[in-house]
Amino acid sequence: MKGKLEPSERQKLIEEGKNLKEGLVTLEEDLLKLTEELQQEAQCIPNMTHPDVPIGDEDCSTIRTTVGSPREFSFPIKDHLQLGKELDLFDFDAGGKVSGSKFYYLKNEAVMLEMALTNWTVFEVIKRGFTPLTTPEIVRSSVVEKCGFQPRGENTQVYSIESSDQCLIGTAEIPVGGIHMDSILADSQLPLKYVAFSHCFRTEAGAAGAAAKGLYRVHQFSKVEMFVLCRPEESDSYHEELIRIEEELFSSLGLHFKILDMATADLGAPAYRKFDVEAWMPGLGRYGEISSASNCTDYQSRRLGIRYRPSEAPPSTTPKKGKGNVPTQFVHTLNATACAIPRMIVCILENYQQEDGSVVIPDPLRPFMGGLERITPKSQ
Amino acid sequence: MRLGCCFGGATLHTLKLVALPSSSCPPPSRFVLTSIAPLLRSPRAALRFSPVARALSSAPAVQPAAPSSSKDATKTNSDGQLAKPQWNALIDFKWIRDNKDAVATNIRNRNSNADLELVLELYAKMLDLQKEVERLRKERNAVANKMKGKLEPSERQKLIEEGKNLKEGLVTLEEDLLKLTEELQQEAQCIPNMTHPDVPIGDEDCSTIRTTVGSPREFSFPIKDHLQLGKELDLFDFDAGGKVSGSKFYYLKNEAVMLEMALTNWTVFEVIKRGFTPLTTPEIVRSSVVEKCGFQPRGENTQVYSIESSDQCLIGTAEIPVGGIHMDSILADSQLPLKYVAFSHCFRTEAGAAGAAAKGLYRVHQFSKVEMFVLCRPEESDSYHEELIRIEEELFSSLGLHFKILDMATADLGAPAYRKFDVEAWMPGLGRYGEISSASNCTDYQSRRLGIRYRPSEAPPSTTPKKGKGNVPTQFVHTLNATACAIPRMIVCILENYQQEDGSVVIPDPLRPFMGGLERITPKSQ
Repeated sequence: MKGKLEPSERQKLIEEGKNLKEGLVTLEEDLLKLTEELQQEAQCIPNMTHPDVPIGDEDCSTIRTTVGSPREFSFPIKDHLQLGKELDLFDFDAGGKVSGSKFYYLKNEAVMLEMALTNWTVFEVIKRGFTPLTTPEIVRSSVVEKCGFQPRGENTQVYSIESSDQCLIGTAEIPVGGIHMDSILADSQLPLKYVAFSHCFRTEAGAAGAAAKGLYRVHQFSKVEMFVLCRPEESDSYHEELIRIEEELFSSLGLHFKILDMATADLGAPAYRKFDVEAWMPGLGRYGEISSASNCTDYQSRRLGIRYRPSEAPPSTTPKKGKGNVPTQFVHTLNATACAIPRMIVCILENYQQEDGSVVIPDPLRPFMGGLERITPKSQ
Repeated sequence: MRLGCCFGGATLHTLKLVALPSSSCPPPSRFVLTSIAPLLRSPRAALRFSPVARALSSAPAVQPAAPSSSKDATKTNSDGQLAKPQWNALIDFKWIRDNKDAVATNIRNRNSNADLELVLELYAKMLDLQKEVERLRKERNAVANKMKGKLEPSERQKLIEEGKNLKEGLVTLEEDLLKLTEELQQEAQCIPNMTHPDVPIGDEDCSTIRTTVGSPREFSFPIKDHLQLGKELDLFDFDAGGKVSGSKFYYLKNEAVMLEMALTNWTVFEVIKRGFTPLTTPEIVRSSVVEKCGFQPRGENTQVYSIESSDQCLIGTAEIPVGGIHMDSILADSQLPLKYVAFSHCFRTEAGAAGAAAKGLYRVHQFSKVEMFVLCRPEESDSYHEELIRIEEELFSSLGLHFKILDMATADLGAPAYRKFDVEAWMPGLGRYGEISSASNCTDYQSRRLGIRYRPSEAPPSTTPKKGKGNVPTQFVHTLNATACAIPRMIVCILENYQQEDGSVVIPDPLRPFMGGLERITPKSQ
């Protein structure tokens, strides 16, 4: 229409242009809606799975490693609730009154045990090259979603803040994952290895059963979490590193535990592979999960928008001058529980109980408890 | 880095045994409150709403009271204000009436909006109504008794009529009484605590300095504020906090994390040594508990975060969950004093807070805090207040800080406090003193709302001696709370005061064993 035209030609073109424009607007709306629908559906697709992962439900999970064996007791043993009561270590009744069920106060030596477990674990992981962090425990719900959690689903595990788009975190994985949201990292920055201490809040909606009593399943707890961002080709080896760190930590504390390679039905959408640690809890009379280490490959990073620029282009691309031309790739992210305090307390109380009703403190924790060697009944 | 903390014989064996009271008796629930209790924590917070004072009329025009047994989380009363779940403060109305001049003066000194005249008016009306209700009940009983005997049909009919009228009249009066009681509660709960006679009268400028410790350090080089130090030493990240959570959220990194752990551990151990029982607490609590401690979860500009679809809130201080432990209890005299040191995270909306002092770690939405809380006999609260402020003085002196301890003036007290000492530490980067701690004696303000009483072992001399200890009347305990360590502001103090010319920060001696022996935080390039 920029050239010289007869009026009738021009009019025809104007008509044509108008039709095209209207058609375009409609199509663009359709495209937007379709894209949204595609996103919604596609986001449900779980991560791919490591070839060595057993296929099937929980029973198909395989044991990678077993450390130690169940301690033999020469006297009738107590569970952590009874020990806690007799040693005046926690108060679930007051928690129920003030906050609701599954809330509790830690008291006396249990407070020092929490501080010792936290400090010792953070120091141990720092020594292995991780950067310590504390994190916000209130985050935007979009960040929760990008990590693969569902804040507003039925039976959601997530507490939401009234009149805002914010939620409480259920794990430090979420705020740590968010640190490098929408970023392009330099190759030289990788790997980024964080150890984060936070409180965690979970609604535990839908959780029921006998294993829900006492400290085993609560709404609020302290946790030390490891989080790694790395190059894709390295995530398998960092997964091995994380589970090895966990094995060393729990062995140092003298626990008996199994490390499981979780089967496909038990993976959860973000995980490419997941190792769970189940420790022997004699009071419960079974193994209980104390830790989980997941390789999420690029599931989270594609949602959080975390990429890096490799220092060298892959061989297949045309070499160009200037490093700005190496295409970015998504990092891989991994997370692993270094210490979930309440379940560790269950393990220590139940495994280290003595016939006289006292509980021995594991060696590594004693310097962090002012040298305390055992928790004794107050009447002694 | 070297591990291990040489604590040197912590007296953990002397940890006090604390048990829940073996007997607990709920207070008589003569009154049921279903409307909001607009309690103010600080006079600088939003003003409470002024409910319309509804004059009670006789029976026909009065609306029926809201059902007292409703468990709904919130409903709106006729003012359009949020109504709250039922609980009542066991306020001594008679004492208020008998001391109304002192109460009025106190309200004025504290710049409170409480309407004392209305409270007294409602109280008088309530007493009258109660008498009327009693009278009608007696008559109704008399009629019922008469009907037991042999009567002529016409007489019986007359009595039935009379009984019916009395019953209807009674129902109406009882509804009026209920509504009146709720209104009285609502108004009376606004009345602030009385004030210690030594407290200076006036606003913040009238606060007096009790003690000064140390003096501002002299620097021979240009100093930095904590934000700049934090940036250069890679100690915190507010940008990531803003992205992930919103403004005033942050991550602590590297040595700052160890500093937080060290401050927490050292403080808890120091306070345990002084006879306090350590606790960690829930950080999600029922909103009624928040109110009973004197905070206002649902007011405009509230400091309190609420959880969606529930009656729960996040705590702004461990004072709240600790105050709640002995809610609705009668403690034994031998249990007192109860001295707790509680570690928790705290969450505050900081709605309405603005200004330059709001940057960095000085004012944030989430922080860690070690809090001391005492429940004691009334005659002992002044001396425990002195003990708490003395502990704070020792803690902050040990860390080498320069600070002032202030006796806060009446206008700065906040409704629950009978007396409040604030500690303001010198923050050279800010160029002024900043509050790092507060110690309040709340006397029976909180305990009347939380329902915490004790049974003295001996009756006061004026009562008639009776056999059996069950007959000593219970009294309300006094509660006190004091900040042992508010981590972010302590970090500000340490960074700004201990900075060195080479950009490093020296770690105060007492904290080093808790940081693996680390002596200073050095720039990463060194």
